[in-house]
Amino acid sequence: MTDELKKEIEGARRSFLHDLEHVQSPEQLAALRERFLSRRKGQVSLFLARLRECPPAEKPVAGQEINRFKEFVEEALAGAEAARISASAPWSDPSLPASELPVGRLHLIADIQRRIEDIFQQLGYEIATGPEVERDEYNFTLLNFPEHHPARDEQDTFFLEGHDDLLLRTHTSPMQVRYMLAHPPPLKIVSPGKAFRKDDPDATHSPCFHQVEGLLVDRGIHFSHLKGTLEAFCRSFYGPDVVLRFRPGYFPFTEPSAEVDISCFLCAGKNSDCRVCKGTGWLEILGSGMVHPQVLRNCRIDPEEYSGFAFGMGIERVAMVKYGVPDLRLLYDNDLRLLGQFG
Amino acid sequence: MKINVEYLKRFVACDLEDKALKELLAGIGLETAETLASDGETVLDIETTPNRPDWLSHYGIAREIAAKDHRLRFTPMDVSGASLDAPSTGFAIHVEDAADCRRYSGCIVRGLTVRESPPDVQKLLVSLGFRPINDIVDASNLVMMTCGQPLHIFDLDRLQGGEVRVRRARRGESLRLLDERDVALDERHLLIADARRPLALAGIMGGLDSGIGPGTRHIFIESACFDPVVIRLGAHALGLKTDASYRFERGMDAEATLPALKMALLFLARSQGRRLAPAFFQDAYPRPQERPVIHLDKDFPARLTGMELPAAASAAILGRLGFALRDEGGHWAVTPPSHRVDAQCREDLVEEIARIHGYEHLPGEMPLAANPVLRVDGGRVAVQRLQCQLADAGFNEVINYVFQSPEENLMADPQGEPLTLKNPLGRDFSVMKNSLLPGLLKNTAANANQGIERVALFEIGNVFGQEGKRVLESRRLAISACGLQQKKDWRLAAQAFDFAWFKSQLALLGRRLRLELAFRQGRHPAFSPSCCFAVEVDRRGCGWAGEVAAELRRFAKLDADAPVFAAEFDLAALIAAAPESRFLPWNRFPAARRDFTFLVAKSVRFEALRAAIERLRPEALESYELTDVFQGQAVPADKVSLSMGFTYRAQERTLTGDEVNAAHRGFIERLAAELGLIQR
Ligand SMILES: [Zn+2]
Repeated sequence: MTDELKKEIEGARRSFLHDLEHVQSPEQLAALRERFLSRRKGQVSLFLARLRECPPAEKPVAGQEINRFKEFVEEALAGAEAARISASAPWSDPSLPASELPVGRLHLIADIQRRIEDIFQQLGYEIATGPEVERDEYNFTLLNFPEHHPARDEQDTFFLEGHDDLLLRTHTSPMQVRYMLAHPPPLKIVSPGKAFRKDDPDATHSPCFHQVEGLLVDRGIHFSHLKGTLEAFCRSFYGPDVVLRFRPGYFPFTEPSAEVDISCFLCAGKNSDCRVCKGTGWLEILGSGMVHPQVLRNCRIDPEEYSGFAFGMGIERVAMVKYGVPDLRLLYDNDLRLLGQFG
Repeated sequence: MKINVEYLKRFVACDLEDKALKELLAGIGLETAETLASDGETVLDIETTPNRPDWLSHYGIAREIAAKDHRLRFTPMDVSGASLDAPSTGFAIHVEDAADCRRYSGCIVRGLTVRESPPDVQKLLVSLGFRPINDIVDASNLVMMTCGQPLHIFDLDRLQGGEVRVRRARRGESLRLLDERDVALDERHLLIADARRPLALAGIMGGLDSGIGPGTRHIFIESACFDPVVIRLGAHALGLKTDASYRFERGMDAEATLPALKMALLFLARSQGRRLAPAFFQDAYPRPQERPVIHLDKDFPARLTGMELPAAASAAILGRLGFALRDEGGHWAVTPPSHRVDAQCREDLVEEIARIHGYEHLPGEMPLAANPVLRVDGGRVAVQRLQCQLADAGFNEVINYVFQSPEENLMADPQGEPLTLKNPLGRDFSVMKNSLLPGLLKNTAANANQGIERVALFEIGNVFGQEGKRVLESRRLAISACGLQQKKDWRLAAQAFDFAWFKSQLALLGRRLRLELAFRQGRHPAFSPSCCFAVEVDRRGCGWAGEVAAELRRFAKLDADAPVFAAEFDLAALIAAAPESRFLPWNRFPAARRDFTFLVAKSVRFEALRAAIERLRPEALESYELTDVFQGQAVPADKVSLSMGFTYRAQERTLTGDEVNAAHRGFIERLAAELGLIQR
């Protein structure tokens, strides 16, 4: 049965090609289309009608043969029609490639920073920025880093010639001090920007880096509010299923303090060879805590009445964790082969 | 902080496997940086924080484990076998200022023979990163690693005058340290001295001369508590950081000196093989360590954390951590143990409670707090628009360091006073940038030298300078373009960047903020004199644009011949000038256009023509544009042919053709006369 059908289809194909070659006018082309593709009595339909007589085992093969023939006829007719039309118009080929017009991009760090800012703006935070050359007082003293305290060693600081009271800010937290001194609570801000520590550049260190810090102060704010807020942010930024893990930490300006990990957004801890979390299932991404009462007092806010939380994250770290940039130095090489991949 | 797990378990009988132990520790804030194996024993290198000097010993870690697991007890070494019952005569300890040294306990032991420590002690010390030296030095190290108290042991025979004095150094004094370095001393340094000369830098490092040697027979053991700031400043001044100074500058427990002395006596008794009775003992402790009494409302832990924390649970945790609680009704009066120098306020107590209770019990809750006024930074919106506009036009954003070399600062501004770093990473990063252009040029060169044909970049960043004592910091936008604006394909010809294109992009940026940028010929060291413009808005300077000067190209090591066009704007000036939009009714009367094609001498720049048009423009002239520039056979060599279109319109009526013709003719005649134009 199938062999017989095959032979007939082959015959029809030869007949179609012969007739197509001798088509002289659009009318003849239309008649040819009618003869082969007419739904009711076209050649293809006749073949399909015969399919019913086929034994079930042969049906798929026979069906395929008929379909292949139908596609062949359709393509050949379409090509002949297009050739007729274009023969009468100036030559053009709309399938020629598009021109490659230049496109520029934001730097990955700027792009990430903007996305983080956008999420917090939607949560009602104000964006507050401050100077990169900062007063020692705002960078350390008022943030409860006593003058001769070893905690200052952890933030190796650049100082300025001829200005003993100034430095390059080691974090964007001084903006919190500036803001609290200028505005009474309730307040809700994020402060993004550059920060500087005297580290030689290597795969995970840079003397210049970017942070986004947040601060919320109001009556009745507690530690769980910090967790709820960071959960909202992390689920928006990293994915709706990430889970947060708080671990005790230390920052002079928060008490209690917490280091915050998120569950690995790639493997959720299920892959021991995961390239993102290295199999630990967790990614360290944030430092946070309740604003230390001394910091509130330093900023003329009464800790008996108000409490608040603060958090901070490094944008370069996000670039490495979320976008797989393997070496921090690449972010400052400004090689277009990297810049073109993001933003 | 290196912790030998087997040794640790002598002080807290915990049966956890290494992995579970590490998890327990991480849960209370003690992260293991590295797990090491030493001669079959596990050693954990634990990260500690500067507020917890009490963690810097096996005791400290054992206490934390016992606090976390209520089934366990912290069991310090039994030192009752050592006695400090000895005369306080025949020798003397003088503390000149109790503010420098809170406590100084010392004893003399006679008749020792210096020998090796027992093998297990040596093995333990090696596992903790120490090199065993002799039983006396080893004993002091082992005491420190066990209970945290740094000791110093002197060779008694090297001490002159039968006394030690804790005093500030005098200018001109010097000391040869154990590491054989000679240091010059002054009033900043706290010393241990004898009657004649300095012996040791208190709390930092001993002197070579009074150290323990193979022939040492009699020793003086010091167990003291020095002021943290004094030790920190002294160590910093000399660039020293030792195990002792690291601990003292974080704050040591003044109550720990005597148990530490006893522990040392016991360690030495073991290595010497006999009971040791001190020949002298004195404890200079003028003012006992003051401990704060912290008022803690019983519901405060739950209030500050949002965790479910019944009062009994809080009390139990504080108790296990060694805090003494006095119940005073609604609150407790809490006294921290002497080793918890960090615990100062009620929030510190809450952290202890939450930490031991477990942060995993912390629920997440969204705060309802809201800013009463949500201030939106208009400048930020403007900057975002500029960023997007530039990216859409094919410019890529770069971010560079804020510091650069002094030479780079000179490229952009040879006169300005640079802001210099006191402690830069190197000369190439020693001054704060006064311009973003050198960085942008370096990025351009790095990319172009790789063979990238189109290098169009921008950067937004701060620049710095100073005027007298005042530091200047302002935000800039710098833009550059080098190479091909458009590469060749089947429909477009290759097109190199030229200044006209670049200027058009700048004008477009201005229009994005509804600003009309004016380009006034000027001089700037970063730009070539033949193509250098001060950019102005409303006659006020807001930046510079032009072709980058050859010196700057050479400095950036740009190989290609292609010119680099660049601009740098003061962002604050642009943003301040950007107007608020406001509805203006448009002119409903028809406009009339007249064209004018003319020859002009090449020496006359378009800028001069524009100035003349502005000066001579008739009232009805609404706008004008340059429509063609032509140089060809029909045009004399010293001239160019320009075509311009002029649009005329009145505010309140339709102008007649005659009116337009009259206005146009008069205007053109005056313009032609002024600039020597020849109508074609
Ligand atoms: Zn993973």
